[in-house]
Amino acid sequence: MSVLLEVNELKKYFPTASGMLHAVDKISFKVESGKTLGVVGESGCGKSTLGRVVLHLLSATSGQIVFDGEDISKPSSARLHELRRNMQMVFQDPFSSLNPRQSVSEIIGEPLLIYNVCKNKEEYRERVLELMETVGLAQRYENTYPHELDGGRRQRIGIGRALALNPKFVVCDEPVSALDVSIQAQILNLMQDLQEARGLTYIFITHNLSVVKHISDDIMVMYLGEMVEKSNTKELFATQLHPYAKALLSSIPRARLDVKRDHILLRGELSSPVEPGDVCRFAQRCNYRKEICTQNAPRLEEVLPGHFAACHRVREINGL
Amino acid sequence: MVSAMHLTLALNNREMVTQMDHDLLKITNLEVLYSVDDDLVRAVNSVSLKLQDKETLGLVGETGAGKTTLALSILGIVPNPPGKVVAGSVEYEGIDLLKLSDRQLRRYRGKEIAMIFQDPMTSLNPVLTVGDQISEVIRLHNKVSQSDASSQAKNMLELVGIQSSRYGDYPHEFSGGMKQRVIIAIALACNPKLLIADEPTTALDVTIQMQILDLMNKLKKERDSAMLLITHDLGVVAEVCDSVAIMYAGEIIEQGSLKDVFEGESHPYKLGLFNSLPDIDSDVERLESIPGIAPDPTKLPKGCKFHPRCKYCTEVCVSINPEFIERTFGHFIKCWHIQPPNRGNTV
Repeated sequence: MSVLLEVNELKKYFPTASGMLHAVDKISFKVESGKTLGVVGESGCGKSTLGRVVLHLLSATSGQIVFDGEDISKPSSARLHELRRNMQMVFQDPFSSLNPRQSVSEIIGEPLLIYNVCKNKEEYRERVLELMETVGLAQRYENTYPHELDGGRRQRIGIGRALALNPKFVVCDEPVSALDVSIQAQILNLMQDLQEARGLTYIFITHNLSVVKHISDDIMVMYLGEMVEKSNTKELFATQLHPYAKALLSSIPRARLDVKRDHILLRGELSSPVEPGDVCRFAQRCNYRKEICTQNAPRLEEVLPGHFAACHRVREINGL
Repeated sequence: MVSAMHLTLALNNREMVTQMDHDLLKITNLEVLYSVDDDLVRAVNSVSLKLQDKETLGLVGETGAGKTTLALSILGIVPNPPGKVVAGSVEYEGIDLLKLSDRQLRRYRGKEIAMIFQDPMTSLNPVLTVGDQISEVIRLHNKVSQSDASSQAKNMLELVGIQSSRYGDYPHEFSGGMKQRVIIAIALACNPKLLIADEPTTALDVTIQMQILDLMNKLKKERDSAMLLITHDLGVVAEVCDSVAIMYAGEIIEQGSLKDVFEGESHPYKLGLFNSLPDIDSDVERLESIPGIAPDPTKLPKGCKFHPRCKYCTEVCVSINPEFIERTFGHFIKCWHIQPPNRGNTV
């Protein structure tokens, strides 16, 4: 499998009155073509910022982004325009990410107009209807407006728009979290079908661990801007190395009665991402905290084959 | 006379008496309408529900199913207009709350029955300190001095895991999880017998959600409160509830103990809900989604409200709304084609 996207030491800092906010800090990963990388973490961990920086919706503070073999860390605006054909995004909120004054066909067709890919009006309309069919929107919705539709259909519009130019790579930022479960399943299935049919590569950003497990090949767990654990999905759900990943997985409310519930309760809440300093950022809430954790930051290391974690005591607490 | 009869019953069959005698809340045939423009939205349709002392009932359903409206009508706070309770009764310890005046109802609100709202960010008053907001409810319902009220409020803060030194802080100085703790402190300040919690953890991250659920479980046990927990998350239900009622299009379509609902016979909608959930304990290639969307509440279908989305639908479903049938003791299902227990790999 070829690597479609490679990110090295990516950083995104935001200046604030009280110092630099480390939204994304030294994150490196690769995504293979046709695969899905799930990014999980709680609100404020920097997962959405990461998705946006990768797509150049926000410019990186430093670091390297390689897409399809090309270094796109600092693209010219003309080059970026071209790149966007191949890199698209599906947004979280299907209520605010669609222009209320455009009809369904106008929203889905806009990328086709911007990139001038259709020879004439007939071809344009044909492409739009084809896209609507692909994402499961009946032709009768062609001229309806987003406010007339429910959340699931609106999210289908967002997906249709993202796919209009046949991209290779799509960042999905919480695409199903605003939807009810029965509709959520419809959209997840659609996204999986499209991935298979078109060989799409996804970065799937979510706080919902059950969803990320269902859809991802690899998973990266973020905490306060840093990657704390990464591995393939099966391995991660079988064994969590980092104390935060352990707590996160144990906190998922499970809709069945035949499972043991050993909740790991964390103390406190997320600390500030402003000037976090050279410490383990999770230390404050960690049940395994020792002196070293507040003295310097742990590095991400390969603890088990293909399974990375950033914790000073990772071997000790996992009996390795 | 009546009490003598109960006493005999009590001696004969304690469980029976629990069933008959300790309904803390009994909702019967409740109907709530909203009139919007020229349309009538049937938000709650002939719902009956019982809640016993100390019981935690999970009320589950998707957006627009009528869960919140049902809860609001218990406290008589359905926004009117456009909403109106048009039929039914809500008996709390034998007294029909719907028949009380606003003034009489105020004795119940916050004291006997307290409510926790979904969004901790907007349900606190931004210009009052959290301490004042807790002591306000104490002073409203008890004849206590300001200083007694504030010391009680400080105790409440400690109880929900916030240092009492933060009494004078304002809501914006707290994080989401901490705000929800403050709201729980307000709700529990007068020791209510019934707590209505409307999606109390939906706005929170999972690790914080688990802290709050743990806290609610602990306090509920310590204080012997009953709870009506409104949620769309079957996982949360499994964590905290004793029994479950599932709502669809303004009706309760299935109700029973946690075990009945999670492992017993099933309404097709409930089956669909479970199958739609990605499960961390099993692997499936594709989720089994429920086709279509929930019906427009201004144009509810005839017959069974779920029939347009149901794969077991037959002629009878289209024309006649099924009865709520007790399949096994305490397990009610409203369907013509009740499905057998499903313990397949997707449930």
